[in-house]
Amino acid sequence: MSATGWQTDRAKNPHPTSLPDQQLTAEQRATGPSSGLPAQPTTAALPRQRTSEPASVSAPVTPAPFTLLVIGEDPASAFAVPDLLDATGNRARIRHARNLTEARRLLTDDVSCILLDLELGARQAKGLDVLREVLRMAPTTAVLTLASGQTDAELAAEAVRVGAQDYLFRNEIEASLLNRAMRYAVERKRADLAQLQLTETRLRAEENARLERGLLPTPLLDGAEKLRFAARYQPGRSRALLGGDFYDVIRTPNGTVHAMIGDVCGHGPDEAALGVELRIAWRAQILAGLCGESILQTLQQVLEYERPDDEIFATLCTVDIAPDGRRASVSLAGHPSPLLARRGCPAELLPYEHGGPALGLLPQVEWERVDVELGDAWSLMLYTDGLIEGRVGMGTARLGQEGMIGLIDRGLREGLSGEELLDAAVTEAMALNGGELTDDVAVVLLDHG
Amino acid sequence: MDLSLSTRTVGDRTVVEVGGEIDVYTAPKLREQLVELVNDGSYHLVVDMEGVDFLDSTGLGVLVGGLKRVRAHEGSLRLVCNQERILKIFRITGLTKVFPIHTSVDEAVAATD
Repeated sequence: MSATGWQTDRAKNPHPTSLPDQQLTAEQRATGPSSGLPAQPTTAALPRQRTSEPASVSAPVTPAPFTLLVIGEDPASAFAVPDLLDATGNRARIRHARNLTEARRLLTDDVSCILLDLELGARQAKGLDVLREVLRMAPTTAVLTLASGQTDAELAAEAVRVGAQDYLFRNEIEASLLNRAMRYAVERKRADLAQLQLTETRLRAEENARLERGLLPTPLLDGAEKLRFAARYQPGRSRALLGGDFYDVIRTPNGTVHAMIGDVCGHGPDEAALGVELRIAWRAQILAGLCGESILQTLQQVLEYERPDDEIFATLCTVDIAPDGRRASVSLAGHPSPLLARRGCPAELLPYEHGGPALGLLPQVEWERVDVELGDAWSLMLYTDGLIEGRVGMGTARLGQEGMIGLIDRGLREGLSGEELLDAAVTEAMALNGGELTDDVAVVLLDHG
Repeated sequence: MDLSLSTRTVGDRTVVEVGGEIDVYTAPKLREQLVELVNDGSYHLVVDMEGVDFLDSTGLGVLVGGLKRVRAHEGSLRLVCNQERILKIFRITGLTKVFPIHTSVDEAVAATD
């Protein structure tokens, strides 16, 4: 039965009577709490185990009755599990499974700890295979193993190495020891899971940071005296899913400044990594002294070879600014057109009618380059669509390019420039959206004169 | 806002009516629908985008993926769209050269290459 099935069952009846809870002997029942130890004061409450995701280990812990699942062949006499008390002084519930099939059936969300008799493993499978199976079946539950004379101490120690929290010897079993071992095991498992979760979070953050560095480099602008560079990157709402926005700016020895911005469709590490590859491929070609349309052809080839899935495409905008800063040639591959604000004039979009398809959509495409007069003093803004896709108000309206032009014009009228202008624009787009934007946003601003 | 999907058969074409917003969160649902149709042997699809309020690049990717899937079976994927803001996205990304875009479902269903 699937885990979902169990959850459904549990939702209907959290303590199904069909489960052999409390398969205790009459003697054990009769003994009552006196034979058990008082609850461990350090264990204020026991965590809900049997969750599908370790993420929930950090959730507030709710007191739950302690349930022990014993997996061993002989339900009655293999060993007697003594009476146990949980943190609130209630008797712990004990379920007994004679094999893994039964164990699977009895392993519900409320099982706090598993006690596995290694004898079961010895007879039914090789070595610690049964333990491995139990750990797979219950990745978030503390597992104790029970060893006896037939299973030596070495095997018991090996069990801990494989993933059991601890081992107990059959002849040593008594209430206080088992009680303590179980509670320590549960706490240790909880700590292990929390540690694992932390490590995963840290690794993901590091991975994202590494990709972000690869997507958003330091521009190479030495010698470009009249040109100022500013950039802003704003991760989207789901930070775990880094987008594939990327940009780069390089001044080559002849004084031409090459700027580029792009966006790999979709979100996730594959898309982000592809963005890094495309940026590096572009940078390598520019540093190698190439220019013109062949660069886009090569980038399309790189994309086709490297993409993990052939529904992935990338949009790109490249701008080559002449050494005197007065002219530029622009290529668009499925990318929204840059915004140009000449000093004293309202901002406008550069021509986009000549734009070609995004990279990776069509074979044998030719991308046009269009020459643009920039003038003496200007600001040129390259951006990804995350900026224009934000909502405006509660309806279905979006900011769009027109809305973006309005934001930039207002900023310019207020005398903003560089980072300040970009910060103001992105902040306002977010405010209009009513919170963080869904998609990542990358914006590059080049000011001249 | 969510995405709504409904399908119906018209002759040898399967019309997928899409409503709402196709973005990074809802695009997987559309992908599943297209993959399922192709797996079930529907290779001539008409995606009716008239009820779509928003489409981002992830959604475009899903449509491109759908087109590649039906083409692998010598099928077709036609779009129905009259909304300027959606058409603009297709124009900017160059997808107007990739997808046949029609003004009505009837026209798309009747169309042959």
